[in-house]
Amino acid sequence: MVFEAIGLRKEYQGAVALHGLDLQIDAGDVFCLLGANGAGKTTTIQLFLGFIEPTAGSARVLGHDMTRESVAARAGLAYIPENVMLYPHLTGLENLTFFTRLAGRDPGAQALRTILEEAGLQAAAIDRPVNTYSKGMRQKVGVAMAVAKEARALLLDEPTSGLDPRASNEFSRLLTRLRDQGVAILMATHDLFRAQEVGTRVGIMKHGQLVACRSTAELTPAELERIYLEHMHD
Amino acid sequence: MTDAPVAPRILREVLLKELRGITRDGRFRMAAVVVLTLLVAAVTFGLHTARQAEAEREAAQQAAEESWLSQGEKNPHVAAHYGKYVFKPPGVLAFFDPGVDAYLGVTLKLEAHRQHLPHDAAAQDASALQRFGQLSPAAVLQLFVPLMLIALGFGAWTAEREGGTLRLLAATGIPPQRLLTGKALGLAVALGMVLGLPMLAGLGYAVVAGEGVRAGLIATLYGVYFAVYLSVVLFISARVASSQQALVALVAFWGVTCLVAPRVVAEVSTLAAPLPSPAAFAQELSRSLTDGLPGTEGREARVEAIAAEMLRKEGFEGAETLMDDAMLQGIELAAEAAFEAEVLDHHVGGLLADLAWQERVAQWGAVASPLLALRSLSAALAGTDFAHHHAFQVQAETYRRQLVAMLNAELARRGGDDVWRYRAGRELWARAPVFEHLPPGLGDVLASQRVALGVLFGWLALVAFGAARAARRIRVVL
Repeated sequence: MVFEAIGLRKEYQGAVALHGLDLQIDAGDVFCLLGANGAGKTTTIQLFLGFIEPTAGSARVLGHDMTRESVAARAGLAYIPENVMLYPHLTGLENLTFFTRLAGRDPGAQALRTILEEAGLQAAAIDRPVNTYSKGMRQKVGVAMAVAKEARALLLDEPTSGLDPRASNEFSRLLTRLRDQGVAILMATHDLFRAQEVGTRVGIMKHGQLVACRSTAELTPAELERIYLEHMHD
Repeated sequence: MTDAPVAPRILREVLLKELRGITRDGRFRMAAVVVLTLLVAAVTFGLHTARQAEAEREAAQQAAEESWLSQGEKNPHVAAHYGKYVFKPPGVLAFFDPGVDAYLGVTLKLEAHRQHLPHDAAAQDASALQRFGQLSPAAVLQLFVPLMLIALGFGAWTAEREGGTLRLLAATGIPPQRLLTGKALGLAVALGMVLGLPMLAGLGYAVVAGEGVRAGLIATLYGVYFAVYLSVVLFISARVASSQQALVALVAFWGVTCLVAPRVVAEVSTLAAPLPSPAAFAQELSRSLTDGLPGTEGREARVEAIAAEMLRKEGFEGAETLMDDAMLQGIELAAEAAFEAEVLDHHVGGLLADLAWQERVAQWGAVASPLLALRSLSAALAGTDFAHHHAFQVQAETYRRQLVAMLNAELARRGGDDVWRYRAGRELWARAPVFEHLPPGLGDVLASQRVALGVLFGWLALVAFGAARAARRIRVVL
């Protein structure tokens, strides 16, 4: 089990953001969390990252409890936020080298350059400072970071938000490749189309609860949209 | 392809990234230019002033000696009244930190019956702001380097959070303490890039001048002081929500510790041991010299008692009528000198005790500001603190008494029947002992500064612990 939530609960000053979530995600599984803003998707991601502490229950990644063993768990974990914010004065390659070495890996400059190109970054952009990059280019560096780190667990928080269709499509292909390599992925998104495309399972969150959980293989895009809208209109 | 995480390599990565970020920032160049310009100006001015002062002191010392030797024929006791001047030699490091020398003076007149004090002694506890205006190299390092650290490091954690990179950093799995160490080293190396060369040049100068050990200790203690501010910068940056808050909090901390606390501690030390005004002190001293110390039998009775004791020791008790006038006059002069020494020891000793108490309060005041601890240590090691000044005064007073005793003894030995008609000449003046000032040794200096040393290292331990704890508990998202 790569990701495991057991009775995971989070309250902010008495307001419940997440009600006792139970969830398991295996290697090669892509679980897409759908839901409106404030449904608890980002809270779930942040609990799995160990950025916040649960009020009750536990979030485990690669067998490590994120409250007590977050540093060990993060060794095999990668994270791509909605906006991958890098050091603007460093180039794409310098950023990737820095974060990869921080994670304890050092594949070498040529290998990292190849990873960036495979992530879809143009060769000419690799040595440019990141402050000249578009959001899509920064998201690609984020994917490259996950690849270079050889992460076995990947958390994504609305990674395609604001990307143009082409960039979004390229991003989906990258995720599919990681999925096929056995990486477990938990992705919070509003994008039903991408969830259907890359996800192996989808879960719909509402008011901090996982109200529906289905395999994408069992659903057509229209059915997914219908289920989603049903829950949104309740 | 995959290497195990190696702490030194990761540390190096963080350090290089921090350094790259700091040095590519315009703030670094601006801060470096400001600090270096001030430092170069202060060193140039300090060296020029110190050399000028040394030349003037040498010339004055020579003139004083020549004046003493060429004073012509006179009665030895009259010569003692004319007296002579002695001068406190400036230390090699006085250019770096002038300490209290400028306020307490380096010149003393020595004469019979009087122990002169620097005329502005009471000004020493009001020196905090005056020193600010002095702009010595020490003042530049003490006041401006903390500001530089604040300018470079206030966003060390907050900017990572605001820029979104803190989440990516945390997700790498790097322990926060290692990140903290890397950030601290980055700031330290950036500071070293600015101060390294001037510091090496200063150390080289001190080594050549024979004060390498003291200069090395000064450099080490300034390093500790900078580490205190560096830790405070990282602590506050980790604790507050935004870079703006961090900057405001750090500038406030600098203002309180570098501007307010020194003034407050100076005031508190004055209240703890108030000094008499120079006029009141002189009046009290004069009254005691005329009437005797308060609560005693009075001047005449005390001088007689001392003279009787001297006669008894010499084996002439009850045989005064058999002694020649010169010998009796000599005994009388010696008794008067001993009485005056008692009075002077009483009053000057009390004043020095008050000053020493103020010094102790000031050293403990470092609990409120690391600057006070460093200021005390810096002046002590540069040989310009109150302890060095006190040592000079004590040695000068000892010398004064030796000189007067020697002249009085000469008068008693050779005065004949009418001692006041006796005249001595250059041969006697040349036999007078030469004043040589021996500054306190390094061991004594460090012993006198143990409170300041303890408080400075206490500050470092406290804020370094705080910075490490804040890093461990840093909130990646708010």
